[in-house]
Amino acid sequence: MKITIFAVNEAAKECGVAQEAILQFIEDEWVEPFDQYKLSLDQEDVERIKLIKELKGLGVNDEAVPIILHLIDQINALHWGLRQGLNH
Amino acid sequence: MARDPYQILGVKKTASLDEIKKAYRSLAKKHHPDLNPGNKQNEEKFKEISHAFDQIGTAEAKGKFDRGETEDNPFQQDAHGTHWSSYYNTQQDHGRYSQNFANSFGGEDFFEQLFGHTSHSTRGTKGPRSPFREENEDVHYQMDISFRDSVLGTEKIITLPHTKALKVKIPPGIESGTNLRFKAQGPRDYQSAPPGDVYIQIKILPEEGWGRNGDDIEMELPINFMEAVLGAQVSVPTMHGPVMMKIPSGVSTGTKLRIKGKGILTEKKQGNQIVRLKVVTPSHPSAEMVQELKKLKERLDYNPRESGT
Repeated sequence: MKITIFAVNEAAKECGVAQEAILQFIEDEWVEPFDQYKLSLDQEDVERIKLIKELKGLGVNDEAVPIILHLIDQINALHWGLRQGLNH
Repeated sequence: MARDPYQILGVKKTASLDEIKKAYRSLAKKHHPDLNPGNKQNEEKFKEISHAFDQIGTAEAKGKFDRGETEDNPFQQDAHGTHWSSYYNTQQDHGRYSQNFANSFGGEDFFEQLFGHTSHSTRGTKGPRSPFREENEDVHYQMDISFRDSVLGTEKIITLPHTKALKVKIPPGIESGTNLRFKAQGPRDYQSAPPGDVYIQIKILPEEGWGRNGDDIEMELPINFMEAVLGAQVSVPTMHGPVMMKIPSGVSTGTKLRIKGKGILTEKKQGNQIVRLKVVTPSHPSAEMVQELKKLKERLDYNPRESGT
């Protein structure tokens, strides 16, 4: 499987946000890079950054962003688990 | 089939329809079941590739998918053009972020907790309960019984908080910790499901001077030093009623005597009662006894710490 890896500056360009913003997202643990040492991001990270950008654009404040992200992760995990269970 | 079709086909999101078709043909050729007969893994892969191509193989399908208009996706893209849908697609097949959430609940167990075991159920027990299924719960109680009841067996009627009275038949020789199961006697909160089971765990209360060793019952019998020296015929209590027992001469504290067939008695068990003797001397001997013993000591003294006595 081919995986696209982005450096922070490439991800910034892809998502239309500043590099500093991405670094802040990582520091706040809203984004956990694919490779934390090299700060390489994959498609999952990029889509998550785009989602954060979207949320902030909707006026969601910094305190609420991690809560919403956590809830979305819960829904995604539950939805995936539900489909696995129904397929068995 | 919820993985990102672009990832499955190995193309970028910006790929043209021609590039998508080319990637699809190449992968389909590689994994086609006719070229790999009997290979289940390849068959699944081929299905996955075909499904991915269905999702983005035409301009219309690709447009729908890119807008998040798929049946699979709970985050349908709205007029504002959110990225929730794209993000969702990255999380449906072990996405790292949603997997982190699942792992915080114990990894694979999270989904087992959610749906129960489907293939490893243990006979006689139920798997974990699903929050989405209506099942009535089993209930567990503890019942204290006397040592005598544990040996002889008994029948008790108990009233459970949720339901009617329950007749509990305790078989003779039951051991502490035994769980008695009463099928479908539990509460029925959901009328659509059968009632749960009632489990009653037996706890045997200790009885001073009595014990159990397998099928044998052990007890301690006090005797005086004259009975110990001379031997005697004494009445000994057993769980099955008193019996006469002969104590041979020359016994000491700790000597064990067996009364056959007075232990745990069932169709399969024929235990004995083991009597452990304890020589007891009077704590306040009378003056006469002291005087007589002093006379005996002068004549018949012996040293038990020397061998041969």
